Amino acid sequence: MAVLVVQIVILCLLVSAGVLWALYFPYPSPLIRRWLPPRKRWPENQIRSWLKSGGFQRSFLDYFNRDPERQALPGTSLLAPADGRVSGTDVRDGVCYLVIALSFWDMHVQRSPTSGKVLRVEAHGDGFMDGEGQEFSFLREKTCPVQKRLVIVTDGGQVAVRLITSLAARRIDTWVRGGESVGRGQRIGRILLGSTVVLELPATTKLLVRTGDRVWAGETAVAEGLTVDE
Amino acid sequence: MNEFFWVSGHIGGGLFTLAIFTGIWWLLSDLVWRLRNIRISRFLIVMSIGWTIGVGLILLGVHLDYL
Repeated sequence: MAVLVVQIVILCLLVSAGVLWALYFPYPSPLIRRWLPPRKRWPENQIRSWLKSGGFQRSFLDYFNRDPERQALPGTSLLAPADGRVSGTDVRDGVCYLVIALSFWDMHVQRSPTSGKVLRVEAHGDGFMDGEGQEFSFLREKTCPVQKRLVIVTDGGQVAVRLITSLAARRIDTWVRGGESVGRGQRIGRILLGSTVVLELPATTKLLVRTGDRVWAGETAVAEGLTVDE
Repeated sequence: MNEFFWVSGHIGGGLFTLAIFTGIWWLLSDLVWRLRNIRISRFLIVMSIGWTIGVGLILLGVHLDYL
């Protein structure tokens, strides 16, 4: 009798695993999620369905809201303000723009590229859209994505970090205010869900990254040639 | 062969092992399918061959045990 009970318990566990599999299909069952890389643990289609329904899996939110410590490289190079992939660089009107695209799986806390003083935090834009970083749409005067621009003054010049929303990311938290001092690699804000961060530098600075490169906030040196306080 | 299905008041070792193997194979297949970028047709063929070999070994084990 005891053997039968053990057999039934084991079979019930297996059937439960099968039911979980069927309930979550085509997305991964909670039983195997831990062994999958983030992009496969929460596929893009699943995240987009959550965006429509407004309900998110707690494990995804925990992962999304992570805020790991970062070790800034020694030196005076400018650090990446965000995790993500460099999706474009350009010089326009004497300003060098470095566009970093964040995906749903990137860490979303932004960090100051350099030490200095926050001159002001500006709010711009009037719309939520996809492709907010393409064709430098964040510079448009009309139909511009909602964004915040943090201007930081250093001894070597002025730099700015734009935190830009998308259709999915509709909220930006900034954690510094005008007049405050920021350290190199210090946390400055957070965009909720995938979006874009743009670093604006004097055109004289030399970029160390190219389109397609992967960068990490507060760790990857993205430019040099700006003299700053240490 | 009757012992394959039922023996001494519990499920036979053959049927039980087969059920456990099939269930675990199914779940493992799902995991492998998600971890590897592989064409579904090729993946299904490979996993079916693996399952057939597994079932064959179980049946062989039961048969040898019965002898």
